[in-house]
Amino acid sequence: MTAANVSLIRHDDGVVELAMRDEAGRNAMSEPFVHALSARLKEAALIGDAKCFVLTGLPDIFSSGASFDMLVGLSKGELEPTDIVLPKLVLDLPVPVIAAMGGHAVGGGFALGLCADVVLMARGSRYGATFMGMGFTPGMGATELLLHVMPPSLASELLFTGEAKKGSWYEGRTGVNAVVPRAEVEGRAMQLAARIAEKPRASLEMLKRTLSLPRRQAFERTYTMETLMHRVSFAQGDLVARIAAVHDEG
Amino acid sequence: MTRDEIMVVVKKHLCEAVEGLTPEAIDPAKSMKDLGANSLDIVEIVSSSMREIKVKIPRSELAKLTNLDALVDLLHTTAAGKSA
Repeated sequence: MTAANVSLIRHDDGVVELAMRDEAGRNAMSEPFVHALSARLKEAALIGDAKCFVLTGLPDIFSSGASFDMLVGLSKGELEPTDIVLPKLVLDLPVPVIAAMGGHAVGGGFALGLCADVVLMARGSRYGATFMGMGFTPGMGATELLLHVMPPSLASELLFTGEAKKGSWYEGRTGVNAVVPRAEVEGRAMQLAARIAEKPRASLEMLKRTLSLPRRQAFERTYTMETLMHRVSFAQGDLVARIAAVHDEG
Repeated sequence: MTRDEIMVVVKKHLCEAVEGLTPEAIDPAKSMKDLGANSLDIVEIVSSSMREIKVKIPRSELAKLTNLDALVDLLHTTAAGKSA
């Protein structure tokens, strides 16, 4: 069940881990990484006895969002935003998903984690919707996905500033399920997953579809608006230089 | 701004980013990594410091720095050059 750098690991009693382990690429969403992750998510959706999915990353990085090459390709209009399929694949998984974000999660990587039903963070890692830090509007549904775990005022702050805040900032201030030391994130996720996986699959499926409906609807709405905003914001002349400056390239 | 004032600014942002670190405990001969900051912390510390000091330095130049003293020197000379 392993391919490229993303794998599905079957644990006990219907808990399935979706492990993103692209050491070389630091879990950035390059084209091969997005294809591998999409393929594993499609396989995951077909595991009939799965009760709960746990999305994990590297110890220090959950995901750093779109890769430099991907961003430049998008800004030049040479690439279609293929990463946009990822949030939908996570939102459409038939049973609950827990995002065990022990490492940093920024940009599209943060959006990916926020597609989960339950979100866990580490105090010392950083999390943010960093799109505007590079000068373009948010993607991957981030404009609405943040609202799953925080009030609109805080979502606006993160989206406008593009700042990656420490996990400790989210503790108490937002609705993130738990903010714990990095070493405890995966263990906590597995405990929660085991508890969820005790329930009958049909009940989990129905409840999942019901609880995720507002986010699935929001995602469809957001996708339309974000695509339009990207056409305008990516067409700005100085954008490649801004992206390069942030990525230490060029 | 004097060099000492700039050091105070950088130490303040470093202490905000690294839990448990106090300005007195910071040895400026050390790197921010040695002082407990991770890669995204360093981006935040440097960008917040530059914003407060009102200077902009390309990342390619910042990447060459090896410790806090070198960062403060660069911020200081850039700020001085700007006001000259």
